[in-house]
Amino acid sequence: MLKAFPKDKLTAVLDTLAKQATLWVPSVVASVSRFAPYGPDREVQLGANTVMSPKEALFPATEKIYEYSAYGIDGEFTPVDPSVGPQILFGLRSCDMQGILCLDDVFLTRGYVDDYYAKKREEATLVTLGCVTPGPDCFCYAMGVNPAEHEASDAQLFDLGDAYGIVARTAKGEALVSALAAAGLLVESNKAPLPTGDFVLKVDAEGITEKLQHMFDHPLWDAFSRKCLNCGACAYICPTCHCFDISDKKRNAHCGVKIKCWDTCMYAEYALMAGGHNPRPSKKERVRQRFMHKLRYFPERYGKLQCTGCGRCIAKCPVNLEITDVIQQVREAKIDG
Amino acid sequence: MREINAKLTQEMGDLARDLLASGEVKGVFGWTKGSRWYLTPPVFITKPEEADQLCYDEFAVNNLTGLLLDFRDSQDKIAIFVKGCDSRGIVRLVQDNQLKRENVLVIGVPCPGMGDKGAVTDHRQAQELPLLAKCLECRYPNPVLADRTIGGVTVTTEPSAAPSGATAEAAKGRGVGSKQADRFAQVEAIEKMSPDERSAFWQAQNEKCIRCYACRNICPACNCRECIFDSDKKNWVNKAATPTDNAFFGITRAMHVAGRCVECGECERVCPMDIPIMAMNRKLIGDLNELFGPYDAGVKPEEKPPLGAFKLDDPEEFM
Repeated sequence: MLKAFPKDKLTAVLDTLAKQATLWVPSVVASVSRFAPYGPDREVQLGANTVMSPKEALFPATEKIYEYSAYGIDGEFTPVDPSVGPQILFGLRSCDMQGILCLDDVFLTRGYVDDYYAKKREEATLVTLGCVTPGPDCFCYAMGVNPAEHEASDAQLFDLGDAYGIVARTAKGEALVSALAAAGLLVESNKAPLPTGDFVLKVDAEGITEKLQHMFDHPLWDAFSRKCLNCGACAYICPTCHCFDISDKKRNAHCGVKIKCWDTCMYAEYALMAGGHNPRPSKKERVRQRFMHKLRYFPERYGKLQCTGCGRCIAKCPVNLEITDVIQQVREAKIDG
Repeated sequence: MREINAKLTQEMGDLARDLLASGEVKGVFGWTKGSRWYLTPPVFITKPEEADQLCYDEFAVNNLTGLLLDFRDSQDKIAIFVKGCDSRGIVRLVQDNQLKRENVLVIGVPCPGMGDKGAVTDHRQAQELPLLAKCLECRYPNPVLADRTIGGVTVTTEPSAAPSGATAEAAKGRGVGSKQADRFAQVEAIEKMSPDERSAFWQAQNEKCIRCYACRNICPACNCRECIFDSDKKNWVNKAATPTDNAFFGITRAMHVAGRCVECGECERVCPMDIPIMAMNRKLIGDLNELFGPYDAGVKPEEKPPLGAFKLDDPEEFM
């Protein structure tokens, strides 16, 4: 038996949750699907994954980190509170939950904790939803992600046809389920979750990290990079891309705000050093960095691929430079020596 | 359609193979079949045996001309396949001195009009797709310049010419150019809004922009060696993706291509956030037409863009 709420009670469920926290739901805002705070006019779209990944709830595109003023030797520094209060991320797909685990690795482990991410992550309750219909660009199964459920979330939703089953996995998840029970929204169901449908994209990433360890100088990178525009679309919609730049918004010569904002290895300026040297001077090095980071360096450092198979970059790349094709070609590539 | 595509693909491969084998060009930009039936993305080949990778069909939507910027400092001659809209990008690059005309071998292809992949409902099985809006509004279905052609396409600088060559009938049947008259419809609709509505409309668009610069990077008119938006060191711009900063980027981009936009519509097609970028470009095209007389950028290499030339009778009502 599963605890469940009928699909026609979804609004009541969301209304209940929205009273407890800022509730992020998959929605369409000005014709773009993304996670957005729930409100009276917000139409929830649970049928397909969003164009923008939910990372912006925990790692905003632009975030103030402190304000400063400096007149001569007199300086003042005012930190910005990283807290945004309790948040619930509702209806995350397994791929996006996996993306958050990748962000956790980067921002919370290995000796340095990013306070701005850590606070939001601590305040967040993550509710995943099992996938029934994979999108045309999805390939999470090949990245070691189970589309049906993700064990790392606080609570898991299952599509039971006319209802959503809900299972709590953590204390935060228990609290959320209890709140729904207290509101009289939960029933018992003995239905089985709908199975995940077939995937259109077929790819096998077995051994990709090991293969890439011998391919830093392979001519494939030149071939891949020829059509790349070096735009940042792939990185900015990716659930795992986490690079940022610390920059200023100056009010005048003396005071302003330090900001943390998304950056990407696709941009020429990204690797530019003081003095003018750029270790990634052309598209080739930048394209190589993107795929090496996701498929080799990240697994070497954190033991998991930094691609979750969400397919967003495949859907939106202006030139169809598809990571699945990169994986395929890398696996087929001949290595000299 | 399938037969015509196969024939064009064959012709394309044969020509590219010859050009590479003879050493006339060092590389060829064309299209190849992608991972799904509705995808025909760019490819760059450098060896005769790679010519088999080339493919042409009604999904070869990418304007490849911006990719030539990677060769602006090279003396290598590169061949490139162009549809009508793409060919104007070549004129753009040559006029802007980004490309030596003799370093590029332009091969004109007939265009059947490009399918809108947003309308795909079956990702496994091919289906008939409606045309992209930009193809319905197309006024230059034939290349405006070319050194070679395939598929019997006619080279012409005449606006509103009928599609020519092997795909002419298909293009006509699919409606290429059938909505030329609606080219400014979106601009007019936005202009009819009240100032508050219009402000809210653009505010919503500016909120969406993620500053990925896909619009800029695919554009043959966006060919500055260093874009001011790549660096915040000069303090004119900053990296914050706030609505105000995004508006500054969007408006600066539009103003910078004013009189130079070749209307290939690629900026809008590649925007992951669905921002109606062409509405802004078209607004400026409309204004320039009104102020300086009708002008289509990237058509006649000898005709300077209105903002790139000075005439004594230029309007100066703001002075």
